[in-house]
Amino acid sequence: MKKTNKLSLKSLIFSNLWGFMVPVFLGLVASLAGVALLGVSGWFISAAGLATALGAHLSFNYLTPGAIVRGLAIFRTAGRYGEQVSAHNHLLGLLRTLRLWVWDRRVEQDATNLQQQSKGDLLQRLVNDLDMIIRWPLVVFLPWLYALLSYVAMAVFAYFLQADLLYPIAVCGFFHLLIIPYLAGHYARQAVHIGQVLGVYRRSRFVSVFSALITLTIRGHWQEYAQRLGYLDEKQKIKEAAIQNAVSAGRLGAYCVTIMLLVVSFYVLAFFDSESQRWSLVEGVKGTWVVGFVLAVLALNELVLPLAQAFVAQGQSQVGLHRLNQLQTSCTSSTAKTAHDDFKVHQLSFKQWHGFHAVNGMGNKPLDLDIYLGDRLWICGSSGSGKSTLLAAMAGDCLSKGEVFVNGDKCDLFGNETYQKQVSYLPQSPYVFQQSVAANLRLGKEDATEDELWEVLEAVALAEWARALPNGLATLLSFQGRDLSGGQRKRLVLARLLLRNVPVLLLDEPFDGLDTASIRCISHALQHDFRPNILVLVSHVSSSLGDSAKKIEL
Amino acid sequence: MQKKKAAKQTGRAKTPEAIFLNQLAESQSARYRAAKGIGSLFVVALVVQAWAFAHVFAELALHQSFSMLFLFLGLSALWLRAFLSFLRERVCTSASRHIRYDLRKKLLSHLTKLGPARSRIDEDAALSTRVYEQVDALDDFFSRYKPQVFMVVLIPCAILLSVAPISWIALGVFITTAPLVIVFMIFVGHKAAQANRRQFNVLAMLSNQFMDLSVGLAELKRLGKTQQAKSRLSDSSGEYQRTTMNVLYLAFLSTATLELFASLSIAMIALYLGLGLLESLPWQVGESPVPLAQAMFLLLLAPEFYLPLRQLGNDYHAKQKAEAATTDLMAIINTEIAIVRSSNLKEENTSRDNALICFENLSWQESGRQRLAAITGSIYEGERVWLSGESGIGKSSLLYLLLGFDAAYQGQLSVKGRHLSELLTCPQTLSKWRRSLAWLPQTPEWVNGSIRRNLLLGITPPTELAIEDALLKSQCDEFIKPLPDGLDTALTEIGTGLSGGQMQRLSIARALLSGAEVWLLDEPCSGLDQETAQSVLATLEQASKGKTVLVVSHDTHPIYWADKHWSLTQGGLYEEDKQAIA
Repeated sequence: MKKTNKLSLKSLIFSNLWGFMVPVFLGLVASLAGVALLGVSGWFISAAGLATALGAHLSFNYLTPGAIVRGLAIFRTAGRYGEQVSAHNHLLGLLRTLRLWVWDRRVEQDATNLQQQSKGDLLQRLVNDLDMIIRWPLVVFLPWLYALLSYVAMAVFAYFLQADLLYPIAVCGFFHLLIIPYLAGHYARQAVHIGQVLGVYRRSRFVSVFSALITLTIRGHWQEYAQRLGYLDEKQKIKEAAIQNAVSAGRLGAYCVTIMLLVVSFYVLAFFDSESQRWSLVEGVKGTWVVGFVLAVLALNELVLPLAQAFVAQGQSQVGLHRLNQLQTSCTSSTAKTAHDDFKVHQLSFKQWHGFHAVNGMGNKPLDLDIYLGDRLWICGSSGSGKSTLLAAMAGDCLSKGEVFVNGDKCDLFGNETYQKQVSYLPQSPYVFQQSVAANLRLGKEDATEDELWEVLEAVALAEWARALPNGLATLLSFQGRDLSGGQRKRLVLARLLLRNVPVLLLDEPFDGLDTASIRCISHALQHDFRPNILVLVSHVSSSLGDSAKKIEL
Repeated sequence: MQKKKAAKQTGRAKTPEAIFLNQLAESQSARYRAAKGIGSLFVVALVVQAWAFAHVFAELALHQSFSMLFLFLGLSALWLRAFLSFLRERVCTSASRHIRYDLRKKLLSHLTKLGPARSRIDEDAALSTRVYEQVDALDDFFSRYKPQVFMVVLIPCAILLSVAPISWIALGVFITTAPLVIVFMIFVGHKAAQANRRQFNVLAMLSNQFMDLSVGLAELKRLGKTQQAKSRLSDSSGEYQRTTMNVLYLAFLSTATLELFASLSIAMIALYLGLGLLESLPWQVGESPVPLAQAMFLLLLAPEFYLPLRQLGNDYHAKQKAEAATTDLMAIINTEIAIVRSSNLKEENTSRDNALICFENLSWQESGRQRLAAITGSIYEGERVWLSGESGIGKSSLLYLLLGFDAAYQGQLSVKGRHLSELLTCPQTLSKWRRSLAWLPQTPEWVNGSIRRNLLLGITPPTELAIEDALLKSQCDEFIKPLPDGLDTALTEIGTGLSGGQMQRLSIARALLSGAEVWLLDEPCSGLDQETAQSVLATLEQASKGKTVLVVSHDTHPIYWADKHWSLTQGGLYEEDKQAIA
């Protein structure tokens, strides 16, 4: 079942090869036209000047070069425009593909891994990584390719001018295209890597220190802790300077190589004429062509300059890519479990069964339990007895040991989708999506009518709150339901579960942070209109719902 | 408000963001001046290089030979140009670094001052994103866009000056196209900027949607809606791609126009020069307006004339990015804590009797929202008070006021006979007051490190004996002793490994060790089950004997041992019957 769906920079290019070829082609046209524009203009003007000096200006064909110059200008512009548009189109497509890729990888994960990943800022980093990686073809690969092909084109031109020029061009190309980008990238990569590690550390440090801010402040010792945070920042600053210096030095290096190329080219093309005390061109080399060549080299220099920076960016992409690939944990879960789709849970029995967390193996003590249709269970116990873990395991969200029989058939609950379709589980910290109230509720039942929505809101004592909202049910909730209190969030998610109307309802501390009136209202609803076939309640707050249920002490 | 006024005075509609960015840039004005100086030298090198090369080229074309002097001059100028832009880059990036790291320090110290009020801006993890990522998002603006604005003026002007004596027609081409370019940049660029900004927002929204669905993925899986969410993601990015591309066609058109102008003017100048050299200009047949060397000079300068403008166009998104980030950063800076109180309050130095803490008509309103209704009451030394009330009524706000993190209250609040606002104006008295406090919030505050380090957080290390005593009184020894590493067991910031009750007990031990006289507790029992809560409260009763205690707790967790029970409502503070407690 293992999939080797690894992401690499190469696969980024090949994911939509034809879509990628368009900007490559257009960019190439633009780059070559840019180099040629300067070269041809230079040649044209010097040739024109020469023709006049020789008195041949009347027979000089200026129409063709003139047309070529204008044509190149238009090609360069149209090419750039086309490249930018198609490259961005490609990039957006890539972003979509990558996001769905990450999404699929995450859907494949089992519940434990998923929880691990949703914690902290890991996800935020993933999103940033995605934005970073998709730029790779545009920022790194394409400029390099353009520079390479322009070099090739220039080499061809140089071959016709003077074949000996090929050697310095090859050497300089080697430096420009490989050595300098490699050195800049290599030197910066370490700093990029350390910088990223420092960044993660600094951030966790920030969160850690700020979470104790008040204690530290009132004890008057905040200063020292802030200083240490500042020290980390200072280190980061040094790394950043190193990266920026690598980029600047890379550009300076590229300039120097260009100058060397010009010096050597002149040396190859000219000799010192002791008669006239001047440097003259060797036999068979036309001065006008040399002018074109030098100008083309200068134009090429502009294409080579961004490469050092590009390869520093590559370091960043690679770190991001590495992190994305870590998403792929080997998922060995087999999907086929209990068969037939239309089964309804009417009996659950557990033998020597206990749920536990993968991280630390903590959980409840093994227990035997039989639950039948119509049963209501109230699980209580002191904190640390594993109530929540037991409930999560019952929901198939947490690992478990022992035997479970659903309707008399032995099966495995963890990640069992068929079973989970029959179960609604309210976790301790439920999730509210950044959508409207109605959309949040309709995740439970897609085609729920307005009346049905109000009905469940009444049931969880949220109707009054919803009516007071500026846009009623269409009010958009903030990210992670931040504008709701903990109790409101719980009740909203409970309402969503009630809409789902499935046989088994598992509630983890539904009454936490609620006032007595709301508790009474919810208890009433769960005993009457919204009574599930099987209810398991974990709570340390007493309620009429709990009183009417079978009490199990852990 | 002042900033807005300042903007009006300058007569230009500057956004507060732009003003803020400019203020930041001021702090590095020396570096930016140096960058300008280097930039000016750069322009000189540029012109010299073009001039020297032009001579070499002319001689090459006409005589098949060249003078080494000019070649050497040209190559040296080229190298100087490279070196100067290297220097300029270093100066600009270091200016940007200094601005950003100083700003970050400022943000950190501001957040510290805000204390609990920072939660009004965002939660800690999101604040860390602002302080780190968003500040770094300003980099391109300060290192590239800002210095480039100067070069955009300087380079074309310098080139115009050097072209003027040579050819009026070339000068004319430059002068007529430059405003066209600029006008076009303003017209199309403005539209493009709007589109760009919209795109930026939509992109952020899309990222947000992806984040939101990803964080809630576990819930979606339970609901069996992953496929639906995926198609939603796919649809919205597909839709986004289409709409954005429509916007981008226009946005890139502005760059393309710039490019076209640049390319066509280069071609135009090349043609004009070429035809002129051939003596075939329709209006000047038979004579050459510009000799070859000078024609070459013009040709070499032509692309340089448009280059800075094009670069500025490319860097424009840096400005957009910076302004978007600035909005977030200003939200932090502009969240003020008011430490302003007129001194006329001093006159009536009323500490009712000799109460330790005394409120009189104390209320707290913030941006129109009532955080605390007007209350009156006093707490005497050694008294233990239970404060209850509905959630959101202002119980925690009262504690924050006492901690000295805000002074924008109405009415009077005095501690130890002095007004709190008066204490806040002087750092010494404030820290003295704060040192006498112990703070026990809902979720105890922890830093990464050992239990010992957390217990001694911010206090001078007491003797082992004192620690043991505190652990005994808070009943921590029961669970610390069995730990293999004892007090040196590591705690992470979420305190994994210990239960909520155990964490609260550690909090009590810490309060004991600090020797604080006044304990402020914010719902110490929330999230604990009844039994654990009872035993924590019992420990608390023993441990807090002789201290002045203000404990906030819901009715569900009554504090039977309190001397007073206050109930806070919209209408104010009511002292409940003591019988009701017992």
